[in-house]
Amino acid sequence: MAEPLLLDEQIRANKRRTVVIVALMLLILGLVVAAAGLLLGLPLPIAFVFAGVAALIYFLISAGSGVPAVLRATQAREPNVSVREEKLLVYRVEELAIAAGLPKPRVYIQDSKDINAFAAGRSPKEAIVCVTTGALAQLNQEELEGVLAHELSHVKNYDVRLATYTIAVVGIIAILSEIVFRVMWYGGRHGGGGRGRGGGPAQLIMIVLAVALLILAPLISRMVYLAMSRRREYLADASGAYMTRNPEGLASALEKILHDLPDDPKGSKTVAALYIANPWKRALRDSVWSTHPPLERRIQLLRGPGAGVEPRRRLIDAA
Amino acid sequence: MALLTWLIVGGVVALLLIFFVTYYNRFVRAANRIDNAWAQIDVQLKRRTDLIPNLVETVKGYAKHEREVLENVTKARTAVMGAKTPQEAMDADNMLTGALKTLFAVSENYPQLKANTNFLQLQDELTHTENKISFARQFFNDSVLAYNNAIQQFPGTLFAGLYGRKSRAMLTVPEAERAVPKVAFA
Repeated sequence: MAEPLLLDEQIRANKRRTVVIVALMLLILGLVVAAAGLLLGLPLPIAFVFAGVAALIYFLISAGSGVPAVLRATQAREPNVSVREEKLLVYRVEELAIAAGLPKPRVYIQDSKDINAFAAGRSPKEAIVCVTTGALAQLNQEELEGVLAHELSHVKNYDVRLATYTIAVVGIIAILSEIVFRVMWYGGRHGGGGRGRGGGPAQLIMIVLAVALLILAPLISRMVYLAMSRRREYLADASGAYMTRNPEGLASALEKILHDLPDDPKGSKTVAALYIANPWKRALRDSVWSTHPPLERRIQLLRGPGAGVEPRRRLIDAA
Repeated sequence: MALLTWLIVGGVVALLLIFFVTYYNRFVRAANRIDNAWAQIDVQLKRRTDLIPNLVETVKGYAKHEREVLENVTKARTAVMGAKTPQEAMDADNMLTGALKTLFAVSENYPQLKANTNFLQLQDELTHTENKISFARQFFNDSVLAYNNAIQQFPGTLFAGLYGRKSRAMLTVPEAERAVPKVAFA
């Protein structure tokens, strides 16, 4: 009983960290809006109303990243149950849905020689799980179960929804700073613009700080988003291992993925973060710019004492 | 002054009421989850017992001499169907799993049986229901754990006593199930 409890604690710690990261994102967004307001000479309430409207529009646009769009981008197809491998895949998904206490997700197959899998859908009800034919051919049932448990953990933890929203915040921050710099550029050329009220050195310092913030915020928010993405991968590994009570299944699958270099990626790079391992590249080191933690690290954690335990890390695992 | 007293009294009463309702609902939710988890196990047990006669018939056609193995499977199936409590049903199901493992191990000796598509399909489906049962049992136990935590932790335990909520038992698995069955090959 000791091991599941350990995992249980790790899952809780991971969730706490996600809350901190999301709070940090919102804080950055708030600061960016305030800085934009200052530089454009807008009163704060008006700046926030503008940002709110922009956010709303952005969310509506990102609704296009729903399940049908992902299926189209990845060229996924429905499984053919007369093929034994694909029938067994559907069986394994049904079984794990019971373990996770989730409604049965729809199953899809992507024809690719690479070993990979992903989940999509912003709620468990509309969730789908997709596995490559390469995974079906090269993973045994235990390993497949580990991979599927990882994917169902993403569904259970609402990771797709979280990713959609945080990507939206990153996008809004990028757009906001872009807009401010354009306006200032043109405003500057046409003499003064909206902030010609003068002011002392305090005002100047504020403006310099605001400009610095607007330059750094898009980078920082992207780094924070990626840190969160990696954190959710560790979390999905740990809760997947808890779900199957068998960390070795997933560890062994990740090992096979590690040795199977990606050479047949399908779909678009925007869905890279969805996969169990990035289909385009394998992170060898823990980089600030990768969507997934390095596979070796994940395997090591799954096989370590108290399987799935993650290392103690700083909030943003910067190099 | 009187107004302030009334406000305080009213606030305390409202707070107590919220506590009573919240805990009542929390216990009901947790208990329903357990019942639902059991219902899932029950459905799968039924499905499993439905598959057995078909399997026995198929195997009989190829392996007439394995009477004892087949009888054990049938006996375990009857035990599952006659179980009166969840734990009894689980014990009988464990017996059935053991008997089936022996049957599938023995079937390795009959190449024609192994090549039979009907047999293969039954084997896949029986494994499928067995996996579902064991995950459902795991979910059942997780649900019992959550329920027991809710009624044993403070201050939930105060309300649990009031509502007459008692700890529930988890479904236990005998150690033997985890071990690989020993089958002597002739």
